[in-house]
Amino acid sequence: MGRARPGDGEHKYLTVRAYLADLVTQELEVGDAVPSERTLTEKFGVSRMTVRQAIDALVTEGVLHREQGRGTFVAPPRADFEMRLTTFGEEARRRGMEPGTRVLVAETQAAPPSVAEALGQAEGAPMHRVVRLRSADGSPMCIEEAWVPVDLAPDLLDGGVPESLYGALRERGLAPTWGEETITASDATPAEEHALELTASRAVMRTVRRTFAGDTPLMYSRSSYRGDRYSVFVPLREARPTLVPTTSRATEGKVS
Amino acid sequence: MTQPRSPSDAEVARAILTGLGGVDNIEEIDPCTTRLRSLVKDPTLVDKALLRSAGAFGVMINGRVVQVVVGPRVDTIASDLADLM
Repeated sequence: MGRARPGDGEHKYLTVRAYLADLVTQELEVGDAVPSERTLTEKFGVSRMTVRQAIDALVTEGVLHREQGRGTFVAPPRADFEMRLTTFGEEARRRGMEPGTRVLVAETQAAPPSVAEALGQAEGAPMHRVVRLRSADGSPMCIEEAWVPVDLAPDLLDGGVPESLYGALRERGLAPTWGEETITASDATPAEEHALELTASRAVMRTVRRTFAGDTPLMYSRSSYRGDRYSVFVPLREARPTLVPTTSRATEGKVS
Repeated sequence: MTQPRSPSDAEVARAILTGLGGVDNIEEIDPCTTRLRSLVKDPTLVDKALLRSAGAFGVMINGRVVQVVVGPRVDTIASDLADLM
């Protein structure tokens, strides 16, 4: 067997990968085994390494998952969470998944500058800080860190961390009405990798959110979501027209 | 997301325009869902403190681009701004 040129190997790997990806969307169900490496090697006349490369890529993307000593299977679909003011539990349940929470930190801490600025509080103001590992159907999905000014809800954590922070704030007359969130792609830190049980891919989506109740900044949260289990769903709408000063007023006696 | 037009929105719009250095300093304002993204001619004329006191929940300045976070009121504020410009 002659040594394949890099171009050929790349092409063959893509062929196997496309075949498997199609198989997953067209024929197989979640949990089904994909054809064995040997079957694929024979079917495409490629090396076992090429087949493995194709499977690895799909495992990293979260399309397939490997079980030690058992084989490779179709992974459950990604959770397509719409970015809106709902709680993790609500979002998970609406997708037919059972949410779970492990509280990693629950404390009162002085607001660091970034948090104070985001919430319109004085630096060092007392804040509730809660870090939780959220899971769906027993699999870790994200780590959430939330900061809430103590003066807004002094007794927020008195009975332990409520199942839903938004829910607990709503009960106190502070219903979240709007917010802003930024999403950034990143590699997991070693601690996140461990907590989220990442094996195939270290990709995470980091979100930073500010939640408001009307004019009151309620919560500042930073989360990291598993890149292989999440998709972000964003409804789109037409942009509002851009405002431009009318010529008469803006360019009066000026060169624009 | 239509909210009743209240006089305070017009006041906020006027104060924001002043904080951005006046209508003469504006090249354009792009109303997003929760923010006004403005392109100004001279960023040194922008008064961050004034914008904050006008009710902005945050002001980010990057070169000539000034983002003013106003929340869902952006709809009414934008139409008030259009009247003032």
